[in-house]
Amino acid sequence: MRHSKGRGAFIVAFLSPAVLLYAVFLVWPLLQSFQMSMYRWRGVSRNRKFIGMENFQNLSQDPVFWKSLQNTGMLLVLAGVVTIGLGVLLAHLTDGAGPVRKFARAIYLFPQVISLVAVALIWQFQLNPKYGLVTDMLFRVGLPVRDPGIVRDPRYAFGAIAVAFVWHALGFFVLLFSAGLKQISEEIKEASALDGSEGWHRFRHVTWPLLWSVKRTAITYLLIHILTVFALVFVMTEGGPDRGTETIVSYLYEQIAKNGQYGYASALAVVVFAVSMLASLAVLAYFRKDPTAAAGARA
Amino acid sequence: MKFVVAIASIALAAGLVGCNSTAAPEAKETAAPTPGGKLTGALEVQAFQGGYGIDFYQASAKEFEKQHPDLKITVEGGPRVWESLTPRFANGNPPDLTFPGWGMKHWDLAEEDQLVDLGPALDGKAAEGDGTWRESFDPQILALGQLKGVQYTLPYYVMIYGWWYDPEVFKKNGWTVPKTYSELLTLSDKIKKKGMAPITFQGKYPYYMIDGMLLPWVQSIGGIDAVNAAQNLEEGAWNSPAMVQATERIVELKKKGFFQEGATSMSHTEAQQEFVQGKAAMVPCGSWLFSEMKKTMPATAKMEYFLPPFIDGGKGDPTAVLIGIEPWMVPTEAKNKEAAIELFKYMTSLSVAKKFVQEKGTLMAIKGSDDGELPDVLKAPSKTLRESKAVYSVQFRHWYPTLSTELENGLTSLLNGQLTAQQFCDRAEAAADKVRKDPNITKHKV
Repeated sequence: MRHSKGRGAFIVAFLSPAVLLYAVFLVWPLLQSFQMSMYRWRGVSRNRKFIGMENFQNLSQDPVFWKSLQNTGMLLVLAGVVTIGLGVLLAHLTDGAGPVRKFARAIYLFPQVISLVAVALIWQFQLNPKYGLVTDMLFRVGLPVRDPGIVRDPRYAFGAIAVAFVWHALGFFVLLFSAGLKQISEEIKEASALDGSEGWHRFRHVTWPLLWSVKRTAITYLLIHILTVFALVFVMTEGGPDRGTETIVSYLYEQIAKNGQYGYASALAVVVFAVSMLASLAVLAYFRKDPTAAAGARA
Repeated sequence: MKFVVAIASIALAAGLVGCNSTAAPEAKETAAPTPGGKLTGALEVQAFQGGYGIDFYQASAKEFEKQHPDLKITVEGGPRVWESLTPRFANGNPPDLTFPGWGMKHWDLAEEDQLVDLGPALDGKAAEGDGTWRESFDPQILALGQLKGVQYTLPYYVMIYGWWYDPEVFKKNGWTVPKTYSELLTLSDKIKKKGMAPITFQGKYPYYMIDGMLLPWVQSIGGIDAVNAAQNLEEGAWNSPAMVQATERIVELKKKGFFQEGATSMSHTEAQQEFVQGKAAMVPCGSWLFSEMKKTMPATAKMEYFLPPFIDGGKGDPTAVLIGIEPWMVPTEAKNKEAAIELFKYMTSLSVAKKFVQEKGTLMAIKGSDDGELPDVLKAPSKTLRESKAVYSVQFRHWYPTLSTELENGLTSLLNGQLTAQQFCDRAEAAADKVRKDPNITKHKV
């Protein structure tokens, strides 16, 4: 009994700092955001007015909100598919030992360790209409990218954000899928080889299903990462041209920084939270059953 | 992560305010105390650290401290000082005197009873001379800090908007500064033939073009009344014939290829760098251009100010100048209001203002501060301002940020060929109409 009590105190002692920090810096602000979303508040004084669900009603009629939601969804599909597709491909190509593969894995991870603001600045330079390397290369292959310039051109700006995102995020997904590939036991690989399953056939019927838990983690991570993408958009395009790259969080920032609408911004934050939660739950529900469980495989 | 930071910042500010603060604003004594007593205690100044830095304010504070040894002044600031000041205002713990910079929504502060009415202090004695403090200022510039007749903010330096060229480059090529739009077209044609871009602009921030081309040309065509009617949200003012015709000039310059290639994507510093490096002949910008670019401009480069070319035959005033201020203010909840007002009085005295003009190379709102020998770059703006029969200012940007954003977004689409001049103006009018009909937005008048 005494032993169990001591163990409990030990656990509480070690957990409490983390729980306290989490509660103060995450749970409490989140609850405050929920509260603030029902107020009209300019954020410069104590004066604020309870307006119930008015911010949410206004949000539902705000075309920029819907446009930003649509853009965020498009980024999720476009950058998400490319990131996961390339992540799996590169994980395959760099799977195994050898110095070249090790070096390649480190290179892929490099953009991931740079802050997102720095990534945005790097791409801003690369896409500069006068001296940007990428602009110059695209111009040389015949694309009219010098005027108005990639980040202000409605044909290219969204793609530029997606490319910068993929460049930044890819390394992490290569690492994730590499770890997933390593977890597939040699016995399974040998057994599938004996059964004549090689190449694409083996990937589709053996490897891909066995990456089940990695896919779940990857998609959940991507969802949260893209739904809250801000720095790339803010630095590279400021949501432009003409809202062409506006995302839900960049619009939220505009409500605070430009418009001083803290209540409306909080309503947006609540929507982002709700969408993130629902989407994450949907992913978890979709992947709830381990398709390989019956076969007894590890993934 | 950024999302968490964003909601945390909202919540932190909310938390600072507390949960039971839904009541209407408390009635506060907003009139400034009558100065005259001994100044004591601590005085905190928070200032925007822009192109002119905060060193001058710190040096002024030191001088003022010598005159008032019982006063301990701290002057601090940062390039985004408004971000730390906003929650301080919300929490009732603002500094004593502040110049919060362009990011602060100071009209929100005024409307929320957060700023002292400086009118009574202005009627008191000035720091130097026999006149009142009010008489130290240019009245038109002073008016920019008033809301419904109450003086909530005071100006310090004055920004003059216009266009810039390199006189050496113009002289070498035999070009003359265009006074009218038709002269601009002729000159731009010549410049283009020389292989130089006639005009560059800060396309990433479209308000530069709004202040440097659109509104001056609306003024040219329809007079200051046409600009102010739009700012006052008068029905049909944002798609008035003057507004449409001014917009058409921008489209014309674009179609003729007189804007530098890629300028729509350029930030202010990128476009201005193109100008100082001689890749573009002219750039619209305010009088801070030199201080902003002096570190990166080639030693041989020169710059000189001129008024935006006047639209031929327009009914506006060819001498009218667009000006702007970045205001100073004393918070209602400041702990040492009297000392704050006296310090700012000292900073706006003629001798200190003249020193600021010389050291920082900008014009001031203080009468007579541009007397005497001026830095070269200030000579033309000063002369233009002295010779102008009227001044006007862009105020709607701070009053109605949603209208301003819509205008900027529309301008980018106009430059990209996705909107016609008429469609751009109709869109601006629709945005103005939305503001006009929103009962929660306080309406202002120029």
